[in-house]
Amino acid sequence: MKGKNFEIISIAQDTGGVKDAGPWITAAKAEFTALIDDKHIVTQLYNMVNVPTAVWINERGRIVRPNEVGYVDNRYKAMHGVDAGPYLEAIRDWAANGERSPFLMSEAELKERMKPPSPDRAMADVEFALAEYLYKNGKGPDAIPHFKEAQRLAPDNWNYKRQAWALSDAERDYGTSFMKEVQKLSGKPYYEPRKLPEVKKQN
Amino acid sequence: MLKSLVCIAIASLLTAATSYAAEQGRKVVIYDGVATEVTASSEPSNDFWVTLKDLKRATRFVVKPQGICRDELCFPIPKGKKTEFLSKKGSVTWFNLSEFARLVKQPVAPDEKNRVWYFGKREDERGTHLASLEAPNFTLPDMSGRTHSLSDYRGKKVLLVTWASW
Repeated sequence: MKGKNFEIISIAQDTGGVKDAGPWITAAKAEFTALIDDKHIVTQLYNMVNVPTAVWINERGRIVRPNEVGYVDNRYKAMHGVDAGPYLEAIRDWAANGERSPFLMSEAELKERMKPPSPDRAMADVEFALAEYLYKNGKGPDAIPHFKEAQRLAPDNWNYKRQAWALSDAERDYGTSFMKEVQKLSGKPYYEPRKLPEVKKQN
Repeated sequence: MLKSLVCIAIASLLTAATSYAAEQGRKVVIYDGVATEVTASSEPSNDFWVTLKDLKRATRFVVKPQGICRDELCFPIPKGKKTEFLSKKGSVTWFNLSEFARLVKQPVAPDEKNRVWYFGKREDERGTHLASLEAPNFTLPDMSGRTHSLSDYRGKKVLLVTWASW
C-alpha cells in the first residue's frame, strides 16, 4: 500500500528507546517509517490510552479518523478479539479514494470523539514524565510512587500502567501484572470497540 | 604538625560544608521537557522560587511591566498580587514559579527527595488541535537517530500507528 501518496508511520512508545524497541523493528524488516518515542510524547499529545492506537491524517495534516484500536493483523486476536480484516479494508479504501472514502468522519463526529485531556489526565502526564525522568537518571525505586500516582489519576490509561510495570518487577512493586488486570476485566473489551460504518460492497 | 592537622581538619570541614550547600542549594526544573539546574531559594516555602536569571534560563519567560512574557506571549500579573509572584532579597529578585503555574493552570509534579520539579503544559497549550483538527506535530528519531517530523509528510495521507515492546 506504500505509494507516492500514502505513508505509514509507526511509533514505539518505549521508555527504553532503541534498546527495547529496536530488535522488534529490525525483526519486522519495516518498510514503513519506524520512529521511537522514549518519552511517550505521542501518547500525551494525542491523549492516547493504549497500543496499538491509530490515527488517520490527510494530505493537509488534518485528522480524519481519530484514536482507535490499530491492529492491522490478527497475530494477537485470540487475546483481544479485535479482527483486523475490516480495518484493513477501510484503510485500503481511504488510500484509494481519499476524501470520497466513506470511512472518513464528519467534522461534527470528529469533534464529538476528540476531547481535551481532563485535568486529572494532564496531572497524570506530568507524574508519568517525572517518573520516567527519575527512572532514566538511575532512580528507579524513586520513580515508582510517581508512576503509581499517574496510574491513579488516569486509571483507563494502559500505556501508563504497562510501561511502568515493564520497567520493574510488577508483582513486587505494584502488586499486579498485565495478565491479572486483563482477567479483572472479566470479558469487558480491553479496547474500546472500533466503530466502522457499514459500507456496501461495490462490484 | 598539630597546626597543619588543624588546617586540614578545617579545610575538609569547609569542603564538606560547601558540597552540602551545593547539594541543598540546587534544584532541577523540567520545563517544556528540558531539565535545567537552578539555584534554590533558602526561604522555607512549599512553592518553587527561582531567581529572575534562572527563570529566563529554565523557561525563557521574563518579567516585564506588562506581565510574565515569552516572545509575543504575555500573562499579566493579577492586580494586587505582585508580592505573590516577586520577592526581593538583598540584590536578588526571586520569582514564584509555582504561583505562575497556578495562574496559567499548569500541572506540576515535584519529587522532594531528588529535588526535581516537572512542569507540564499550560491549559492554553493542551488540546490546541481540537478546534482546527490539525494533527499535533512531533519530531522523533528512527533507529539510526535520524529525526522525522509529522509535518515532513504534508501532501501524503499518513496512517499513524503506535505500538510498544512491553
